[in-house]
Amino acid sequence: MLGGSFLGDARDRLLPAAIPFRFFAAAAVFYVLAWAVLLAASDLPDFTGGLGPVLAAIHLLTLGVLAMVAMGASFQLLPVATRQPLARTWPASLCFWLLSGGTVLLAFGMAEGASLAMNSGAISVTIALLIFATLTADNLRRARGLPVVAAHGWVALIALLGVVGLGLALSFDFQHGFLADHQAMALLHMLLALFGFMGVLALGFSLILVPMFALSQTPPPRLGGLQLALAFLALIFVTGAVLSGIAWLFWPGIAAAMAATGIYLWQMQHVLKSGMRKRLGLSFRLIRTSWVTLPIAWLLGLVILLDLPFPNAPVGFGFVVLVGWLLTFLLGVLQRIIPFLASMHIVDENGQPVLMSDLTPELPLQVHAGLHGVAVLLCLAGIFLQSGVLVQIGAAAGLTGALAYAGFVISVSLRVFNATGSKSANG
Amino acid sequence: MSFQRRTPQLLHEDHQATIVVIEALDQMLEKARKAKPDVSDAKVEKALNMAATAIEDEINNHFSFEEDQLFTLLEDAGDVGIGAHLREEHKAILPLGNRVAEAARAALANGFTDDSWDGFRRSAAELIERMVAHIQKEEMALLPMLEELLDPETDMELSTGYASSH
Repeated sequence: MLGGSFLGDARDRLLPAAIPFRFFAAAAVFYVLAWAVLLAASDLPDFTGGLGPVLAAIHLLTLGVLAMVAMGASFQLLPVATRQPLARTWPASLCFWLLSGGTVLLAFGMAEGASLAMNSGAISVTIALLIFATLTADNLRRARGLPVVAAHGWVALIALLGVVGLGLALSFDFQHGFLADHQAMALLHMLLALFGFMGVLALGFSLILVPMFALSQTPPPRLGGLQLALAFLALIFVTGAVLSGIAWLFWPGIAAAMAATGIYLWQMQHVLKSGMRKRLGLSFRLIRTSWVTLPIAWLLGLVILLDLPFPNAPVGFGFVVLVGWLLTFLLGVLQRIIPFLASMHIVDENGQPVLMSDLTPELPLQVHAGLHGVAVLLCLAGIFLQSGVLVQIGAAAGLTGALAYAGFVISVSLRVFNATGSKSANG
Repeated sequence: MSFQRRTPQLLHEDHQATIVVIEALDQMLEKARKAKPDVSDAKVEKALNMAATAIEDEINNHFSFEEDQLFTLLEDAGDVGIGAHLREEHKAILPLGNRVAEAARAALANGFTDDSWDGFRRSAAELIERMVAHIQKEEMALLPMLEELLDPETDMELSTGYASSH
């Protein structure tokens, strides 16, 4: 009764539960796979691009975890934020199958150098991301609430189009070699994916989710707008720098990105300080940790631009942004929203909405948080000391933590699937 | 968050007032844990006083207004699910709130025994958890919906009626 009526009515703004939860459950599986593949690879410190297990692990994280959660969360949360339901829900289900299948094929193809699998996976993922972009654009077009968040969505979608186009070209270029500068396009693909698509989405969703969790005032829209304008400017400068080969354009790019980060972190700090809810739990330790890594990433960015003699700064920069910031942030948010959403669908033995604490097992999540921190530190140490063994020990810690986290996500997801039944699962 | 319409703004202010009580209770539970607190301690006494007086009033009045006046409006506009879900949460929160208020009054009069503290601690912890999640849902979903749905006349009528009953 609870979940079915709250989420099942087509006129309501929230989706059938099975749709976001299948994205979340799949992301948990890909999270485990990413660490497992990195554990099998020993060459992360020497990574300079190119096919192999490291590239596969990176895409298992970016597509399998980050994009997967971004889609599930966007399909569920955007209609609430924009006060507009999704036009149709079946394309969201189609997105899921195309993205999961495509990511498996793409990662396998990258790890094994199998062009057919890689290109098929790239096509499948491209279609999934384009469907996502279309559905999201349609929802944002009709948005009536929170214009700053909607604007973040638009910028993320613009970046996504660049990411998708470059990704598809890069995949086919491995076989056919038609790009003039594969390395430069790969760099742009990475920058647009991490900062343009996922980064801007993270900034935008933070403006609604963090105040909601902390029961705080939402930050003034002009600050969110300034944060977005600076982030957009940074993206334009770095895109220009890569496409034109004019290296000094990276400087205004990183300056704008650092300013956007400063405004973002100030807003988040203010939200938490003025929030009525003070005890925010383990999930916010992950979220706060992710915020700490952002300035570290920019310091590494400066080291790269100044060409300072710091070992492996580019790989370290990529790792801090992808794992330290985005992954850690997203795991913290997911840990928080999964029980929140699930509690709308599951009733306890007395027929009452289940308590979120009953859906949040403390031990596995504490184990995960600890091991995730250890994994990040050891992998970074391995990267900077150029030690494949240290990276592998870190990956082993990450894998163990990921298994604990996956246990939590999948067990809650199964409870939701059981509670809502197969009817809504076909969404 | 602030709202243009008076009705969601009044509900938002109720939420703020309730969270003050909930936070005071939460801090009391966190500090005392399993050992029963001294009710003559100023902070404990204040938290219990708030729990004894504010919760019942806030919950009963606020919930009735939502159920009788607002959910029906939403249902007429086609948003059936949210009202049904929040009603279910009200059903779980109301008896808990009354139980915590009654236990707080008893504690203020006679102090806690080990058993009464244990019962109070469990009920208050459940109330805190349910109430925080409930308020988060209302702040994120219900109040923005009302902001969008209410025309100025209906808003004035509802908010005036609610404010006078408060």
